[in-house]
Amino acid sequence: MAANGYLQLRDVAREFTTPRGRFVAIKQFTLDIARGEFVVLIGHSGCGKSTVLNMIAGLLPPTQGTIWLAGQRIERPGPDRGMVFQNYSLLPWLSVRDNVYEAVDAALRDRSRAEKLAIVEQALRTVGLDAHRDKHPHQLSGGMKQRVAVARAFAIHPQVLLLDEPFGALDALTRAELQEELLRLWQHDSRTETVVMVTHDIDEAIYLADRIVVMTNGPAATIAEVLAVDLPRPRDKRAIVHDPRYADLKDRLLYLLTIAFAQHAA
Amino acid sequence: MMRIMRRGEPLRAIRWPPPVALSTAPWGRTSLELVGAALLLLALWQLATVLAGTDLPGPARTLPVLWELIRDPLYDRGPNDKGIALQLLSSLQRVFLGFALGSLIAIPLGVVMGASRLGRGLLNPLVQVFRPVSPLAWFPIGLAALHSAPTATVFVICITSLWPTVINTAFGIASLPEDHKNVARVFQFSRWKYFSKILWPYSLPHILTGLRLSLGVAWMVIVAAEMLAGGVGIGFFVWDSWNTLHVERVIAALLLIGAVGLAMDRVLELLARRASYAT
Repeated sequence: MAANGYLQLRDVAREFTTPRGRFVAIKQFTLDIARGEFVVLIGHSGCGKSTVLNMIAGLLPPTQGTIWLAGQRIERPGPDRGMVFQNYSLLPWLSVRDNVYEAVDAALRDRSRAEKLAIVEQALRTVGLDAHRDKHPHQLSGGMKQRVAVARAFAIHPQVLLLDEPFGALDALTRAELQEELLRLWQHDSRTETVVMVTHDIDEAIYLADRIVVMTNGPAATIAEVLAVDLPRPRDKRAIVHDPRYADLKDRLLYLLTIAFAQHAA
Repeated sequence: MMRIMRRGEPLRAIRWPPPVALSTAPWGRTSLELVGAALLLLALWQLATVLAGTDLPGPARTLPVLWELIRDPLYDRGPNDKGIALQLLSSLQRVFLGFALGSLIAIPLGVVMGASRLGRGLLNPLVQVFRPVSPLAWFPIGLAALHSAPTATVFVICITSLWPTVINTAFGIASLPEDHKNVARVFQFSRWKYFSKILWPYSLPHILTGLRLSLGVAWMVIVAAEMLAGGVGIGFFVWDSWNTLHVERVIAALLLIGAVGLAMDRVLELLARRASYAT
């Protein structure tokens, strides 16, 4: 897919200072993402995928290069970007509703309280959690917790949705369910949201992505290869596995991740 | 386990007295165990009496005295002869005053230490130096500065109340998980929302643990401080009883001091339970 550079990463690098000296996590990372595109970053753990995501979120400034969103340089977090964290990151002392509400209240400051409450109710209904709104996170299963986190991120209607291995901690069935739900939400918003997601699950990447960005192993990780996923949407999980394009993609990804960039034994 | 490594010295939450876990079931698991504990106490006490000779009164001599004290707790016959409840109340008053003052100092101090590296660097050495100092060593300083024994007593309690609260508050603030901070940053929480919805609810259980330990120490120290200060209060009562060779009263007072301390600890534990959250 030709990128029109809605979200642009230009020669981005990120170094960390550690007790044992400087550590280059990411270098020469250049990527153009189109508006409404669903991009998946895939690579072995420790390759710096999350670092890239955190830089787009504005949580972490690049030590080199620039990230642009709609012509604006990203320097800090903003309400145009929503994030779903790896470990749910719900606030345990708040109810499901309040977890979503506080985010909506903070991100959408100019709305009235009634409007914000309506947004929260809508978001919880969309992920099927309105019956659980008064529960606290510890009373929810992992899948439900991540639903709350997804609802929280979608509720602020961000331009860019950042997902950091959102389903990594879930069992396979729940993960499949949430993947479908994610696509449904994204399509529900007419795919106006640009999605950048980090995963190390090959099937998940193919099922969800328009493009898959394969990363080399860290340190000094960068882009190994970008694969376009030409499978038509909406995708049927059971049907696409019989598509020859699916098999080709999976083969290529397996080659890249298990042979070309095999993870050295830790 | 409870340590965070930032630059410099690791910061630990102190748990003192240590068996906090034990005290969550204060009355034993069954009332039968409670009765057993009471019998055990009486037996050991009796044994100690036998071994020590007649100078140490046993349960049979002490319990009637305890009953006398409890029966008319509020009498007031001049400055040197007051009911046991009045003595206890006067001690409690000092403890609460000193404890409140100490907490008002300790919580902000702990927040500064927990939130800022510079704050930790400047304050941690002071805390580490003064924390092991016996509270009673502060008494002459209090007298010198405040010229009044009751005020000096409050001062000693105030100093005593500082350390557990400072350290636990600092620990609570500093151990706030990065994930929670990231939520605040990604969704652009205002400073007030960050404080009221994240930092405060997260650190409140730690602060309450500190307060609970502080209050426990303060209650232990008040008895000793009042022995030095004289006048009125349960510590003075103990000392005065000893000087008039009423050892039964000393032991009876000891039991009452323990009961009051336990009751205060329960109250703070209840508060802490209300502030705690399941993860």
